[in-house]
Amino acid sequence: MNPNIFFRILVFPGFLFLFVLILFCDWFERKIMARMQNRMGPSYTGPFGILQPLADYIKLLTKEDIIPHHARQFLFSLTPIISFSIFMLSIFCFPLDGINVFSNYGFEGDLLFVLALVTFAHFFLFLSGWSSSNPYSGIGAVRILMQFIGYDIPLIISAIGPAFLAGSLSLAKIASMQTIPFALLTPWTFILFLVALQAELEEDPFDVPHAETEIVAGYGTEFSGRKLAFIRLAKDTQIVFGAVLTATLFLGGPYGPVFSAPPSLWFTIYFVLKVLFVIALLEFVEAICARLRIDHVVRGNWRMITPAALLSVILTVLSAPYIRLFMGAPI
Amino acid sequence: MSPINLSKWARLKSPWVLHFNSGACNACDIEVVALLTPRYDVERFGILLKGTPRHADILIATGPVTRQAALRLKRIYELMPEPKFVMAVGACASSGAPFKKCYNVLGGIDKVIPVDVYVPGCPPKPEAIIYGVTKLFEKIKGGS
Ligand code: SF4
Repeated sequence: MNPNIFFRILVFPGFLFLFVLILFCDWFERKIMARMQNRMGPSYTGPFGILQPLADYIKLLTKEDIIPHHARQFLFSLTPIISFSIFMLSIFCFPLDGINVFSNYGFEGDLLFVLALVTFAHFFLFLSGWSSSNPYSGIGAVRILMQFIGYDIPLIISAIGPAFLAGSLSLAKIASMQTIPFALLTPWTFILFLVALQAELEEDPFDVPHAETEIVAGYGTEFSGRKLAFIRLAKDTQIVFGAVLTATLFLGGPYGPVFSAPPSLWFTIYFVLKVLFVIALLEFVEAICARLRIDHVVRGNWRMITPAALLSVILTVLSAPYIRLFMGAPI
Repeated sequence: MSPINLSKWARLKSPWVLHFNSGACNACDIEVVALLTPRYDVERFGILLKGTPRHADILIATGPVTRQAALRLKRIYELMPEPKFVMAVGACASSGAPFKKCYNVLGGIDKVIPVDVYVPGCPPKPEAIIYGVTKLFEKIKGGS
């Protein structure tokens, strides 16, 4: 086996790089949120408060770790780590610096593989709430399941649009096809995808699973110390995953003009910039929206978003020949 | 940085607070909530208001502790993971002040749980509460 692959998995662009990116994105989100609310946000932990997420995680790791008496001990201790690792693994499958972490171009159909993995990770988040035997966690967990089952459908349907235009289910191929980003060519799919993604990431206006004013902290209510650190890390990784997925499907992934060698450096820069752009977009929506009621969330999905996603696929299929002509791809 | 310093640094930089009202007249609670508004914005220092005692490091308790709230206050304190700190905010929370010797109050948070910092005032200004937090930081730094 290639010895290089350990470096790629553990350091760059694998675990360490993604970890730093995740922490940075956490800080970036909080800062955007604060500025939108006319506040300053974290400012005194390191330069511009950039070390704030790191301080939070270190503090949580050094705190006491309580397992409630009634909790299902095995699941309760395991689920935070498992959901975090599944999200991490699914990011590994994306072409991060031109190729993916396992230094190949993935395989035909890894888009579906990634989406399936993420559904698993969501299920583990549900289990984490369910296993803590707390009424608030239970309600939060059931709400997650309901929301994910509903919004996974429009998300996957609108992910089909780019795959159809690129004529492939491979992430690297979809990304490299986009000389003009699909976000500009098929804005209808892009907007629907963002709405469904917002619900998947439990951000406002869809944050009913952890609605602080109703159910304390949702499925995370009983977690403390190390387990809470992993739950938070899983949440942050999930947001970065959402941004990476959007950037790959609609913004051309890491690919762009290369000005000098090595290309992987440029690809990484483009990749990070696109991810930050998507996160800024998501946070903007979160900051200007209030929480929907739970029945509106469900009804809105089945009555509006899912039919709209189907319509957008039809529109994409009908306009595909023209779009492909425009892109200069074979029809 | 040694591991102990590192954990102390993290503890100082990210204190998450839980707010509990044990029978206060609500003025203190408004002052505590004012900490989160754009004018004072304690998130600058990494202070976040949390909804559940499992996530919190500092319990900000207000009110003179009515007999009914006493048990709940103790329970919430016990739910918090170590290391945990308690701030008594307001004259009521410190000594029972206007409600002292009422038949239904115990008169002060420290009758039920150990208190680290007292913030006097009826109600204390948000600046005073922030000053109380810095006093608590000094206590943490001192290696108690
Ligand atoms: S200290 Fe004063 S303002 Fe605060 S709760 Fe007591 S009576 Fe109300």
